[in-house]
Amino acid sequence: MNRRDFLSRYGKAGLLSLTIPRRLTATSAAPTFRLVDVTQHAGIQFQHNSGAYGGKLLPETLGSGCAFLDYDADGWQDILLTNGMEWPGHKRQRSTLRLYKNNRNGTFADVTKAAGLDVEMYGMGVAVGDYNNDGFPDILVTCVGQNRLFRNTGKGTFLDVTRASGLSARQAFSTSALWFDYDRDGLLDLFVCNYVRWSPEHDVFCSLDGKHKSFCTPEAYRGDTCWLFHNRGDGTFEDVTATSGIFDSSSKSLGVAMLDYDQDGWPDLLVANDTQPNKLYKNLRNGKFKDVAVEAGLAFSTEGKARAGMGVDAADFENSGKPGIAITNFDNEMIGLYRAASPGTYDDISIAAGVGLPSKNTLGFGCSFLDLDLDGALDLAVANGHIEETVRNIHGNVGYAQPPQLFLNLGAGKFQDVTANVDGGFAEPKVGRGLAYGDFDRDGDLDILLTTNNGPAYLYRNDQLAGNRSVRFRLVGAKSNRDAIGAIVRIFYNGQSQSRMVKGGSSYLSQSELPVTFGLGKRDKIERMQIEWPSGAKEEFKDLAAGQSYQCTENKGITPMAGF
Amino acid sequence: MQPPSRSERSPTTALLLGLVITLAVVVAYSAYIRVQLAGLRKLQSDMVDRGRKDSLQLLRLQNDLNTIALAMRDMLDAGEPYPLIAWSAQFERVRGDLDSALRLEEQYTEVHRTPEQRAYLSQQLFQFWDAVDRMFGLARDGKDSEARDQIRLSLQARQAALGTAVSRLLVENNEGEQQAAGQIAKIYDGVQRQLYIFLTAALIAIALTSLYLIRSNRQIFARLATLSEQRSDLAQKLIATQESTLRHISRELHDEFGQVLTAIGSLLSRVEKQVPQGAPLREDLQEVREIAQSTLNNIRTLSQALHPVLLDEQGLESTLDWYIPTVEHQTGLKLHYEKSGAAFPLDGNAGVQVYRVLQEALNNVKRHAGAQEAWIRLQFDEDAISLEVEDHGRGFAPDARHQGIGLVGMRERAELVGGTLQIVRREGGGTIVRLVVPMEKVEAHGG
Repeated sequence: MNRRDFLSRYGKAGLLSLTIPRRLTATSAAPTFRLVDVTQHAGIQFQHNSGAYGGKLLPETLGSGCAFLDYDADGWQDILLTNGMEWPGHKRQRSTLRLYKNNRNGTFADVTKAAGLDVEMYGMGVAVGDYNNDGFPDILVTCVGQNRLFRNTGKGTFLDVTRASGLSARQAFSTSALWFDYDRDGLLDLFVCNYVRWSPEHDVFCSLDGKHKSFCTPEAYRGDTCWLFHNRGDGTFEDVTATSGIFDSSSKSLGVAMLDYDQDGWPDLLVANDTQPNKLYKNLRNGKFKDVAVEAGLAFSTEGKARAGMGVDAADFENSGKPGIAITNFDNEMIGLYRAASPGTYDDISIAAGVGLPSKNTLGFGCSFLDLDLDGALDLAVANGHIEETVRNIHGNVGYAQPPQLFLNLGAGKFQDVTANVDGGFAEPKVGRGLAYGDFDRDGDLDILLTTNNGPAYLYRNDQLAGNRSVRFRLVGAKSNRDAIGAIVRIFYNGQSQSRMVKGGSSYLSQSELPVTFGLGKRDKIERMQIEWPSGAKEEFKDLAAGQSYQCTENKGITPMAGF
Repeated sequence: MQPPSRSERSPTTALLLGLVITLAVVVAYSAYIRVQLAGLRKLQSDMVDRGRKDSLQLLRLQNDLNTIALAMRDMLDAGEPYPLIAWSAQFERVRGDLDSALRLEEQYTEVHRTPEQRAYLSQQLFQFWDAVDRMFGLARDGKDSEARDQIRLSLQARQAALGTAVSRLLVENNEGEQQAAGQIAKIYDGVQRQLYIFLTAALIAIALTSLYLIRSNRQIFARLATLSEQRSDLAQKLIATQESTLRHISRELHDEFGQVLTAIGSLLSRVEKQVPQGAPLREDLQEVREIAQSTLNNIRTLSQALHPVLLDEQGLESTLDWYIPTVEHQTGLKLHYEKSGAAFPLDGNAGVQVYRVLQEALNNVKRHAGAQEAWIRLQFDEDAISLEVEDHGRGFAPDARHQGIGLVGMRERAELVGGTLQIVRREGGGTIVRLVVPMEKVEAHGG
């Protein structure tokens, strides 16, 4: 490098250092939060059972999901962990999903049996939504075979209404699912991802060495269509997969996220497909959808390859008012991080943003945008773990157990992987799968729940170290669906704004809490808050103090709560 | 004067010729490469790039046809819970992609295929979609069984035929690419051959020019060395002749005229004593005697100035002891004289040269430096004798291009006794002239 180059390069760097926002330089150092592993202390003693007995059956690789939900509507987030079971003919133990009730003191009580959820099934994902608008969240557990719908009685118990709801007419290898009101009729409809056409009876023999059975890649199986079920409002659902244009027998779907990509107020869907093009289902506002993923630049990688999409999330990580997207992929494929470029198209900024290269040797599953350090910019948390136990023998730099990753949003489209700097054991390698967030201890920041394949679940409590503050909103729909899923909340302060969507689904097989959290840094209030309800109604509230939660009921105003 | 021999002729013409030849080779080769590259580019854009882009679209078509085949297989699967019409959106998506791929494919094949060939694929596809529309028409009317028959009897066969047609086009493209690759390889071989020839020619031209340049340089340097030697010899002979002449004149003046005037003075003294006191003649005689004495003094001074006899008789030190006050008296300069070290005798020649350098240096101080003072240091070391003359005047920068005869003379004299002469600018103004003569050189010149 000659002197001119040196001066030019470092001179510019020097000038840049004067113009980079202060937040960037501050967060480049140690994170201003800690993720403390409180699994044991909280009493979460969960062990996932993939049913693995040596048969190397495809579902054994996919793990299980998790959810933060307030099943008893007491304002404290409870935890649900789905579970697999033994394969027919190989029974050694009984395993069921687990429901943990929040004891409001940092611990949880296992209420699975009391809640009537002590049911064996090969569970995969979970979607939580109050489909009957009774004020208590109901649970759909996706399964290999028959999915199960559990209606919340409101008395701490659940009823299996799979058959009564009409969902028993369909069986497949289901994965992620979400509740959303696609026709804005005030009733939550159900979208279910299906992976491939697989059953234990039709398992295909695959081998790496020609002798021993190994897990097959999805190419070995036919794809299967996702399902869309319309909520009739009488406790039953109608399969509108074919008539809505969702039907696609080539899909191999693992993750789904809802978003309003075209800002028209109608919820669209983004489906992550494994080795098949991703699908962006644009809501045509007439009960039909159209796949526009190719036009939007989301179907393929920038090289034109259909990647192995696993988890997906959509959120306004640029604070531009438009949702960006993250899709986790196989190792050597990198996370796809997309920024909204107008109109209705996306650019993969993964490498430029600093997310691509750190995720090159990881296999990502669950992923969520959340403001971990409450600085006002959404960060990205990713659960990683390979599907093949012996992968290190083939790719020396890729392990079966992999550290999850935290990408702190530095602003200006840049992220920084700070996993190694976060205290509390979060960076320990795991065979991660599901990932969800929620404020279980009601201290105003977001805690993380993470599941592993054939292993324990982990609960990480977020402890803020820099005194950053937040404001949280719990929305209750009236004309809209009661969970207000699909509502968009925007806050405004000092010429800046943030937005969140109340959403089900996202991540992988998992669901995060429904209340929305905004990080505010050191600010003690916001100037304005707007809600765009799924019904189309809009409301605005002014001068709200930070450091607490608010309950907003559609057309009935806002109620501050004591603390969070 | 003899004309310059062949070896002494200027190398410029030959060098220019070499340069012209080298440039001509480069220009010729550049033109050749340009022509070849243009051909290569045309071949690549016409054949290879178009072929590759066309193949990509054909692969896209094939992929779409495979997707259709899989969908049709699913549609015929009795276990499917969905009516056939459910697949219509999937078919529409594939149709959109197929149409787009076909449009692009047709653009790339304008050059290579006949209109009939190009029309074939689009006609086949048109007929296929027509059949698909009719099949979905039946499905829409609830006639799934008849629609399935259409798939079995017609659509699958049409799909297979389309697949074969696309595969054939891919094979044709592949053959075209192979031919193009062969032509490209030929061009590369030709360019490679020409490159070797060019490199060889350029290397030969460079080697010949370089050898010629080295030889010319050697001759020029040898001639320069000879000239320098001749010039030095001449200068030293001049100095020796000058010194010899001056010494001779000095001796003559001192010995001949000195003795004559001394004798005249003695005679006049004697005659004067014979003339009575107060006689006018006595006063005249006294006046003549004083004139003779004055002339004798002047003769002696001139003699010393031309070549101090003292040098030959008592050596350098004594000469300087006499000379420096004399110069001080004659010029009005204030001279500070320092001697140091254990003095040793110098031979006459070395002493003369040191003396002459001092003379010239003081002369420069007086004439050019504008100084009123000068410092003279004579130092006897174990291995050398050094003389320094320092002034604090204007100073002057010795310019190699405009050296006066005085400076040249000083340098020649220093070289004559194997010493070195330095003229340095003094910090704060002024000049220091430093002569150093090594001991062994003094001894070598002694005798």
